[in-house]
Amino acid sequence: MTLNATSNRKISVLLVDDHPMVQDGLTACLSYYDDIQVVAACTNGKDALDKALSLKPDVILMDVSMPIMNGIDATEIITDKIPDTKILIFSMHESSEFVTSSIQAGASGYISKDTTSEEVYFAIKTIAEGKTHFSSSIAMSLIENPIRSENEKLTTREQVILTWIAKGLSSKEVARKLNISYRTVEAHRRNIRTKLNIESLAELVRYAVNHGLVDS
Amino acid sequence: MRLMLIAVLQVVLTSLVTYYFVTKEYSDLSNESLITLEKFLIDQKKQELKNYTALATSSVDHLYLRSVPDNKAIKGVVAQIFDGLLYNGEDGYFFVYDGEGTNISHPKEPFRIGKNYWELEDESGEKIIQILLNNAKNGGGFYRYPWLKPSLEESSDKLGYSIYLEKWDWMIGTGVYLDDVYAQLSQLQNEMNRHTSKTKQIILVVAISSIFMIFLFGLIVNLNQKKRNDLKINQLGQRIITLQEDERRHFSRELHDGIVQILISIKYSLEATGRYIGKANIQKPEQLNKAEGNLKTAIQEIRRISHHLHPRILDELGLTAALEALASEFTERTAVNINIVKPAVRKLLPDNINTTLYRVVQEALTNIEKHAKATEVAITFEFQNNWLTLNISDNGCGFNQEEKYEQPAQGIGLRNLAERIEYHSGRFTVTSNSSGTNIEVMIPKSSFANHFNKTSFEAQK
Repeated sequence: MTLNATSNRKISVLLVDDHPMVQDGLTACLSYYDDIQVVAACTNGKDALDKALSLKPDVILMDVSMPIMNGIDATEIITDKIPDTKILIFSMHESSEFVTSSIQAGASGYISKDTTSEEVYFAIKTIAEGKTHFSSSIAMSLIENPIRSENEKLTTREQVILTWIAKGLSSKEVARKLNISYRTVEAHRRNIRTKLNIESLAELVRYAVNHGLVDS
Repeated sequence: MRLMLIAVLQVVLTSLVTYYFVTKEYSDLSNESLITLEKFLIDQKKQELKNYTALATSSVDHLYLRSVPDNKAIKGVVAQIFDGLLYNGEDGYFFVYDGEGTNISHPKEPFRIGKNYWELEDESGEKIIQILLNNAKNGGGFYRYPWLKPSLEESSDKLGYSIYLEKWDWMIGTGVYLDDVYAQLSQLQNEMNRHTSKTKQIILVVAISSIFMIFLFGLIVNLNQKKRNDLKINQLGQRIITLQEDERRHFSRELHDGIVQILISIKYSLEATGRYIGKANIQKPEQLNKAEGNLKTAIQEIRRISHHLHPRILDELGLTAALEALASEFTERTAVNINIVKPAVRKLLPDNINTTLYRVVQEALTNIEKHAKATEVAITFEFQNNWLTLNISDNGCGFNQEEKYEQPAQGIGLRNLAERIEYHSGRFTVTSNSSGTNIEVMIPKSSFANHFNKTSFEAQK
């Protein structure tokens, strides 16, 4: 049952879900498709980060609610470090806040766990090609609550960087701390400034103090 | 309270016992001193009388010793001398009787001269002159009897002393009136009584003030106790609520991340089964489709219960996302728009504050939906000047605050929420009138500062 015979290379998939039973069920379903291969599975965001860095899979199927580090935070870090790996969020949560947070974190798609395995397969294929995919119910909520830049929130990653900056670190030092490139940190800084609508460093620091991110 | 009664009883008993013994001691002491004083004064008087008598007799000795027993002339001279011997003003004088009781000389009552008083009796029937004569014949003696006091012109107790001139068969007597001794004694008695009553007063004052102090002290202790108890009850209440919320969160997580995930895995297993038999060219049985449908329903039900217990979004994405979800659910149900102002940062608050604030908004929205008939709702959530401020306002018809506070028809109730906010050192204010309701919660930065640092920040280090 080959659905995509023209592809000569299988799409490598990393499964991240804290429930082994779900991993097993999903692996069983996906085993019927010849053009994708589940290369590994892990149970939390932290492990996913390590596995992703070593395996560099094409697609990560990522759960949201997990212990130690949740899927959205892990997504952010992984897309920071290996942008070529596409992330498909695979979650029980359907409210638009989860979807927008995932998109902001850099996920390429979002499907409900409630969906069929056909859709899972189709979504993996789609985002592996560099496109996006959202379950129909989720797409609806996105249309109702579109992401507007003026009420965009900082991501966890951006908040961490803001905290470092407020503590007095330079972009270079932040890059070293988080083991990412200087350019990535600078990009985050631009995003932070845009989202908070703040230009000066002094104001950034004051904002961080005001919100209890750092001590005054 | 019982302790206080025991203390009061103790004071009363002590006072009574002290009072009894002190007054008894005083009265014993005063009787003793009265007796001593009387004896002393009388002895003094006796000595005085003896001295006066000795003086008097020595002044007539030269006549008496030389005379013959029946020399009327000398007797007359001597009687006259005695007549003239006065001391202590008017009250000290000498009187003379012969052996038969006939008066020979009496300077203050001269009418008695020549008359016989052998049978003279006092009120108790004692024959005064006979006793005086007897004392005199026995070598001089004292006798107390009532007699007219010249300076007072009325009867008074008199201590009489008499001696005997044997050669003439005369009895010479004199005496002092005892009313001044009695006056002295009664003065002492009065003094003693005054002391006793003063002591009584002191004991009474001490007892009453002690009782008052006990009551005052008891009152203060009671008030303190009440304050402490109230605090304890409040803390206990908050602990119960925290436990309850923890429990709800736990169940919610178990259902959502446990049971539902298992059901999801079953769902995929069923799908795989369908695919397997499809591969063998067997028609997918109707029961399998039904099972898949039922499973979907079960998953939705459990998710609904889990969400009702505790919104998972609060833990995963923080308060602002949870409030947005709450608001869009509200708008979907009621078609009333909610305008939310919120900070761009998140995950700033610890779980218990997150949950409490979420419950405040939930309760406020429930009230608005049920009673307010509002057409606009605004939620403002911001950080400034070291305070987090959460404000929920509507343009509805308002409510009677007292009523709402005391008897929440359903939901958690504003009073409970206010207590929960106070538990986080925060402030809770509700203002409501016919043009709308405004609920404001303020939490000091000290209650949540550095929370992000301790959690998400640490995880990304």
